[in-house]
Amino acid sequence: MSSSTDRPATKNASDGTFEIDRRQFLTTTAVVGGGMVLGFWLPGRKAEAAIIPADLYTRPEPWYRDAQVPEINAWLTIGPDDTVTIRIGQVDLGTGVMTTNAMIVAEELQCDWTKVRSEYASANRDVKEKAPAWTIPVPGGGNAHDPNGGGKPDQVGGPETDTGVYRRMGVGSSGNVRESRFYLQLAGAEARERLLLAAATEWKVPVTELTSKNSVITHAKSKRTITYGAIAGKAAQVQLADPSKIRMKPPDKWTLMGTEQPNRDVPVKVTGAAKYAVDIRMPGMLYAAVKCCPAWGGDVKSFNFDAVRNMPGVHSVVRLPLDKTGKAKETLGRTTKDGFYSGGVAIIADTWWHAHKALEAMPIEWDRGPGGSATTQSIFAEHMAKLQAPGKVIVSEGNVDMAMASAARIVEATYSVPYVRRGRMEPGNATVLVSDNRVDIWVGDQQPQRTLQNAAMLTGIAPENVHLHMCYLGGGYGSSGNGPQAEHAAFIANTVRGRPVKMMWTREEDWGVGTTFSPLHIGKCRAALDANGWPVAMELDYVQTIGVAWPADSRGIAMPPYWMPNYRLNQHIATSHIPPGRVRSTGARPNAFYLETFIDELAHAAGKDPYLYRRELIARNPPENMQDRFMGTGVGGFRYRDDWLRALDMVAKMADWGKKLPEGWAQGIAIDDRRRGVGRGGGRQGTICAQVHTVEVTRRGQVKVHRVDVVFDTGFSLINPLTVRKNIEGQIAWGMSDALYQEVNVKDGGMVEVNFDSYPVLRMNEYPPEINIQWLKTNKWIEGAGEEAIPCVTPAIYNAIFKITGKRIRSVPLKNHDLSWGVQTA
Amino acid sequence: MAFTLLVNNIQYAADVEPDTPLLWVLRDSIGLTGTKYGCGIGQCGACTVLINGLAVRSCSLPVSRAAGAPITTIEGLSPDGTHPVQLAWKDLDVPQCGYCQSGMILATAALLQKTPNPTDEDIDRGVTNACRCGTYHRIRQAIHRAARMRA
Repeated sequence: MSSSTDRPATKNASDGTFEIDRRQFLTTTAVVGGGMVLGFWLPGRKAEAAIIPADLYTRPEPWYRDAQVPEINAWLTIGPDDTVTIRIGQVDLGTGVMTTNAMIVAEELQCDWTKVRSEYASANRDVKEKAPAWTIPVPGGGNAHDPNGGGKPDQVGGPETDTGVYRRMGVGSSGNVRESRFYLQLAGAEARERLLLAAATEWKVPVTELTSKNSVITHAKSKRTITYGAIAGKAAQVQLADPSKIRMKPPDKWTLMGTEQPNRDVPVKVTGAAKYAVDIRMPGMLYAAVKCCPAWGGDVKSFNFDAVRNMPGVHSVVRLPLDKTGKAKETLGRTTKDGFYSGGVAIIADTWWHAHKALEAMPIEWDRGPGGSATTQSIFAEHMAKLQAPGKVIVSEGNVDMAMASAARIVEATYSVPYVRRGRMEPGNATVLVSDNRVDIWVGDQQPQRTLQNAAMLTGIAPENVHLHMCYLGGGYGSSGNGPQAEHAAFIANTVRGRPVKMMWTREEDWGVGTTFSPLHIGKCRAALDANGWPVAMELDYVQTIGVAWPADSRGIAMPPYWMPNYRLNQHIATSHIPPGRVRSTGARPNAFYLETFIDELAHAAGKDPYLYRRELIARNPPENMQDRFMGTGVGGFRYRDDWLRALDMVAKMADWGKKLPEGWAQGIAIDDRRRGVGRGGGRQGTICAQVHTVEVTRRGQVKVHRVDVVFDTGFSLINPLTVRKNIEGQIAWGMSDALYQEVNVKDGGMVEVNFDSYPVLRMNEYPPEINIQWLKTNKWIEGAGEEAIPCVTPAIYNAIFKITGKRIRSVPLKNHDLSWGVQTA
Repeated sequence: MAFTLLVNNIQYAADVEPDTPLLWVLRDSIGLTGTKYGCGIGQCGACTVLINGLAVRSCSLPVSRAAGAPITTIEGLSPDGTHPVQLAWKDLDVPQCGYCQSGMILATAALLQKTPNPTDEDIDRGVTNACRCGTYHRIRQAIHRAARMRA
């Protein structure tokens, strides 16, 4: 089928020389656009006739294909050789869902794990097919303490998420396992029950007498066995009398889940074969390069295509309209029917380099729009003004003013974090082919359901006729990470119907108006201490920009984990023309920074050890079975208090807290649960992470993190601990990039740092030489594992820096601070 | 203008302008898409290829300067993913999103060619590519393992 699109006809070069010509590719690549499906399995057709390709398990093209072997349910097919293909609803952008989610299905299916392959589910099918009723109810009512419970598909993918067959296809909020585990388990169990039922019917024995293991069904009494592959055709045609009776395995019965499994996509990612959207090649394909007004909400005033139309390979120019209503900003910076958040222009050419060169050469005048004069300084000043004006009281416990008035000592500090972006490696791109009655999109996409609907809206072609072929995605790091990549591509391809167009942004375009930004935040903390240095009251004021993807975020600070007899939280809202979006660790980035630095400041003011000071203040909370005063998370009943104490003690022990270190070295500690205090049921889930960073600062102010000790909450169980371990290792690098370097400044309404030279990413030589991770098993389901280790990194490092240098860093990142200390020797 | 390129031991004739970066000739003209575009300014290393065995960032190298020299891309490192660096990468389950890994693997192959038994300092100096997923911990382990395999 279409799998040959990547293969140039080099093998035919008999004389060793090969003339590169697009027409050569035409002859060697598959027919597309209506020709994607060469055949699919229908009940009654002999499955044995289907050919199993030799490269089945290592295919570099991950997208959905209509089944050519029996399909048991929408999540899985079984071939005659027992090959199980599992459909994965979410894109794998490095979080391992191609393996993890397949493990969930395979656990219940009881199939041979070595014969499982993964491919993506179809967003098109999700439009046309409703979710089976038995996948809808959340087992255990969503109670995180029920071994069968926890999780509920949320709306990350859009309002269509809850009704389509694949439920939540969106990627975000560390939610792949949390939100889909239960129905993936059910899908595996439903298929297993039908395989058993089909075998029982075949043998005319009660289904209760059958067992299954490793893709083999056994009837012990009559010593008969049959493989899944042999019975799959019949299983596809039987239905369970009452699928709602299907029960899934609780964690203590798991045999595959909970074990470390190598990731199935690794082999194709070490040979360069893995197909990212940017690698798609099509017969007759055109390429497009795009420039949008670099100031958000701005537009093209004029451009002169005549100046470049005769440059090599140039095909045409396309105007990308500005949505003058400004509503595109509220679509995660993507699109409305009226256009995009920033207007722009695209050039189509025969190669991307030709398109790019012509676009670079084309004179363009910008109208920078209403935000066109904004700078970092102006935005910061507006935020500070809002912070100083009265805010909205979000939490008020006890009497803060009275306690402050009579306190022995007041400690106050103001903190800030800058704009940051996800900064994924693969630049925004998509390949789109629009014909008169069909749209095909090849893309790596975090919201395929939304993208499909947007493409339908932009082309006027019904959603049922939009096909999204999911590719690997070169990084994500936040749910609103796509930007208008697919929408730009669809809009451009719609102008040249019948020809596929690959649209790709430059790095600068991608990191400018191609994405949304985690906004700058400022937080002001005040605490009153008693004569012994223990807090009697605390007040926290924070200011942030809000947006559709970025609601006001009080997570973690709605009630501090540290006992504050009197507490008040005030929220201040600022506005900005820069669309706020979700970046990995979201509101925990500012909030954990405020809290975990401020508690260190209080410990220092009290003359106490920062670990033991934290420990005492966590322990002072009433235990979790007390009545909650605030959503089950704060004063009056700290839901996971004892788990927090265990995490803190574990990490202190791991790191040998307080041990003697060389001059210029120190340990810094932090603990966080980024889900604390938000979410359905008041943070009933959660993921605790505690860290100790062992840091060196040279007298000249050079920082080196030598060692990181991490305690991470697994809840009842992780699915694939190897993947979580890898992810945590990566999160440490992520947090260090934030702590050390990363900030995006604003000038003339646009983003200043738009490439790796000005927005550095941590490199090998800076990664800590030693990292230790230990699991904290707790009696609940965790929220997720994709970002929960990040919030501790910055405060832990900064707390260590304070110990060494006496300098308290209250604004991120470190590159703006002089960390030199002591007397400089000549 | 036609340039003769020797890529993975196959000769190609590419009719492109002399200032076209080698990266785009590899990806779009020849169709070897394992080499990735990341920054276009030689900063991130996703586009790393070997030229005469040395790691070169192909996004910033005009094709005119690569003509004639033996070029190895990720597709040519081994016929079936069994180069010691690739094997070590699989053993350690290194990639996450995987986008930078072709460049990482080729930078490592070049390092081991020159320094068969690298110290951590050699690795710090020799592999300077960017990985946004932060796979450095496993990359370092995999480099040491690949070095042992080659020995």
